[in-house]
Amino acid sequence: MSPVLEIRNLNVALPRGGAGKVSVLDHFSLTVAPGEMLCLVGESGSGKTIAALSIMRLLPPGAELTGEIRLGGQDLAQASEAEMRRVRGKRIGMVFQNTLAALNPTQTVAAQVGEAWRVHEGGSARAARARALELLGEVGIPTPAARLDDYPHQFSGGQRQRVMIALALACSPQLLIADEPTTGLDPLVATQIMALIARLRRERNMAVLFVTHDLSVVRDHADAIHVLYAGRSVEWGPAKNFFIQPRHPYSEALLGAVPRLGTARLQTIPGALPEPETRPPGCRFAPRCGYVQPNCWPDYPPSSCAGDTETACLYPLGTTTHQAEASAAPPSGRSFPLQLEARSLTVRYSNRLALSDVSFSLGRGECLGIVGASGSGKSSLGRAILQMQPYGGQVMLNGQDFSVLRGAAKRDARRRLQVVFQDPRESMNPRMRVSEVIAEPLALQGENDTTARVAELLTSVGLSPDMATRLPATLSGGQAQRVAIARALAANPELIVLDEPTSALDVSTQAMLLNLLKDLAAQHGLSYLLISHDFAVVSYMADRIAVLKEGQIVELAETAKLIANPGDDYTASLIGAARP
Amino acid sequence: MMGMVLRRAASSCLSVFILVTLVFFMAHLTPGGPAYSILGQKATLASVAQVNARLGLDQPLLKQYGIWWWHLAQGQLGYSYLLNRPVSALLWGYERNTLIFYSIAIFLSTVLAILLGLIQGVYFNRWQAKLIGAFQLGFYAAPPFFVAAMLVLWFSVQAGWLPASGITNLRAEHPSLGAYAAHLVLPVITVTLLTVSPLSRYFGEAVHEELGKDYVRTAQAKGVGFTRILLAHVLRNALRPLVTMLGLSFPYIFTGGVIVESVFNYPGLGWLMWRSALSQDYPVLIAIVLVIGLLTVIGNLLADIVNGLLDPRASYE
Repeated sequence: MSPVLEIRNLNVALPRGGAGKVSVLDHFSLTVAPGEMLCLVGESGSGKTIAALSIMRLLPPGAELTGEIRLGGQDLAQASEAEMRRVRGKRIGMVFQNTLAALNPTQTVAAQVGEAWRVHEGGSARAARARALELLGEVGIPTPAARLDDYPHQFSGGQRQRVMIALALACSPQLLIADEPTTGLDPLVATQIMALIARLRRERNMAVLFVTHDLSVVRDHADAIHVLYAGRSVEWGPAKNFFIQPRHPYSEALLGAVPRLGTARLQTIPGALPEPETRPPGCRFAPRCGYVQPNCWPDYPPSSCAGDTETACLYPLGTTTHQAEASAAPPSGRSFPLQLEARSLTVRYSNRLALSDVSFSLGRGECLGIVGASGSGKSSLGRAILQMQPYGGQVMLNGQDFSVLRGAAKRDARRRLQVVFQDPRESMNPRMRVSEVIAEPLALQGENDTTARVAELLTSVGLSPDMATRLPATLSGGQAQRVAIARALAANPELIVLDEPTSALDVSTQAMLLNLLKDLAAQHGLSYLLISHDFAVVSYMADRIAVLKEGQIVELAETAKLIANPGDDYTASLIGAARP
Repeated sequence: MMGMVLRRAASSCLSVFILVTLVFFMAHLTPGGPAYSILGQKATLASVAQVNARLGLDQPLLKQYGIWWWHLAQGQLGYSYLLNRPVSALLWGYERNTLIFYSIAIFLSTVLAILLGLIQGVYFNRWQAKLIGAFQLGFYAAPPFFVAAMLVLWFSVQAGWLPASGITNLRAEHPSLGAYAAHLVLPVITVTLLTVSPLSRYFGEAVHEELGKDYVRTAQAKGVGFTRILLAHVLRNALRPLVTMLGLSFPYIFTGGVIVESVFNYPGLGWLMWRSALSQDYPVLIAIVLVIGLLTVIGNLLADIVNGLLDPRASYE
């Protein structure tokens, strides 16, 4: 069977700054057969999105592209803009992440889905509307006829992604490119979206190129895996082999970094991804590789074949399993002296109840996980504990009720509660340097000479003290989150509320951060309130887990007991979505 | 949508209330008071007291404030002693002239701003946009009286194509529509040139910003051509800031209008305001401030409603 898409030796260079271009994707080759789902896996900066956009020829202006991109008989790399317009949407459909931004906010979904069809097939507005209705039904929008004239913001995140898929399918393309379609969705919803894509490709015998950084979402559906690291392919072959035995050390590290139920310690990859300008001449993973040999450095390793899997590594991994051994969850039944207590917390927004009558306690040194889908009230819970929004009920810290505290006593109590937010760069003042960000809580405590303390805090979160002069925009996501943790530690807190601390990060960065947080808790005797939609992350960190649904705790139990014996169907489905 | 309109209308009513109250108390802060402007600076205390009593100015302030509302509700805006006519009757003719003048000018500057802004947004940082930018900066910096004077110099004095001032030809008993239109051309061009600069610059930035958004890439991935992307997708999203800006720039346009109307001797509210200020005709001045304030509030309300129609999220609850 002839492939739908065949990429040969694709190179992409992007303009950087004033002078010259920098190569971001080198010697990239890949083949997708009809009905096949190929997953292009890589972390931020690996070049995976650039590869996807190259196929559509939607690269930013000034990009330089060489090589062949064959779709059927046509070489898209040589196609004119007019020819590409007939390919886009017609023969290749593309699904993007962050659908709130990727759909036009001021057009109805009928108009947007219909347009995709009408641009290529012509036809009347009425016919386009009928086609939109048919497509929305096919992607599983309930009562599609009633929703045709709704706008994107009136749909939930998962439904918006379904609309996005309907739009990409409008002209029944041979190939669907999905660029991180599940990123930012709750795991349960992500599972549904994956199942939808899998069903559609079966029904339509459509090839799917699935671009993702998250191996756990594609495990069940991928036929083939292609791993990119720093702009080059490191391993590609059938998915089945890949998950049983990754051949490249990077693949192995990436798999080890994914938190799974029962993982005792996540594997981390030391160091950081090299910038495109400073990529080593030889194997690009060499500086971070645990198996590195002297001859890895001079030249990029040729690929070698084992079974159907190809690996660009001189020393591909053997047949022994290196995967993290699944050991028991953290020892249960540890007892903690009481530190924080929430009694019948209630948070009400103008027209709805975000949190109703939630009570729990948290011990000193304990990590309590709060799991729930978007809109379950988990962020409201965190903000209420932090005294950042009005609430009903009581929050008691060390036996003292916040509502009776005033003035300096209240400020001191609030200092003991610190927070780390989801988006570290957004939550820092872009004009403040790292040193100022960290020194601010110190200054509030009346410390004058903060330089030494800032350096110490940076070191304790695994950053170099040289970072002190940087601005937030120049930090990577992982570095920025470390700074945010250092800022929280600067206040010398007893409890840190972690509100989705890693959900904006790559898996390998997430692994490093979670391990760091664990170590810090042990060193400083910190307690955590960890808020997340990712059950696997929470189960890795938490001593006890509270499952929040529609503003109420449906279940609260020790992690191991909860996983072994979920007492609620909703909990069971969350655990199911997190299970490998 | 209806709920949003009602809420905005209610807050507009509050604005009008504050406006009316402020104007009343500010008028009472002016030194001398109306009696002196009627009788002259050399009036005796007795005659001043007499006039004050006749005008009701000896009443308690709050009672006067109540009367002020009562009169406003009946459409009475006071009496111009200098022109010897009720203000409300006096205003209407000028108000009509001003409304015609500004409606045309604002319409033209909006259309022009959209055209220029689209070019600027598409050719961002290229020579086309920079050329337009230079003109924008020039007209933004130029004082209104200077632009007006230059236009009069070129088109009326030197070329003799258009009348330089007034509203009709002097000796014509019943002015023709053509003559009226000819008198409007230069004032309208002046205000349009002055208004279009900030509007188009703002709109150009918005177009550029919208073009970088994800939904544009989605439209490209659907195979939509660039012209359609611009007109069907970007335009409507970029219009929202333009409409807000337009609503907010009403007072600015009116104050610019005072100078332009005076230069062209165009009998509108701005011209009347200038005349009344020179002759210290307070009742007329106060009424004009009220009318302009009211027009600004209405302008903002309209901008909110148009924005609600443009963007479904604005009225979403």
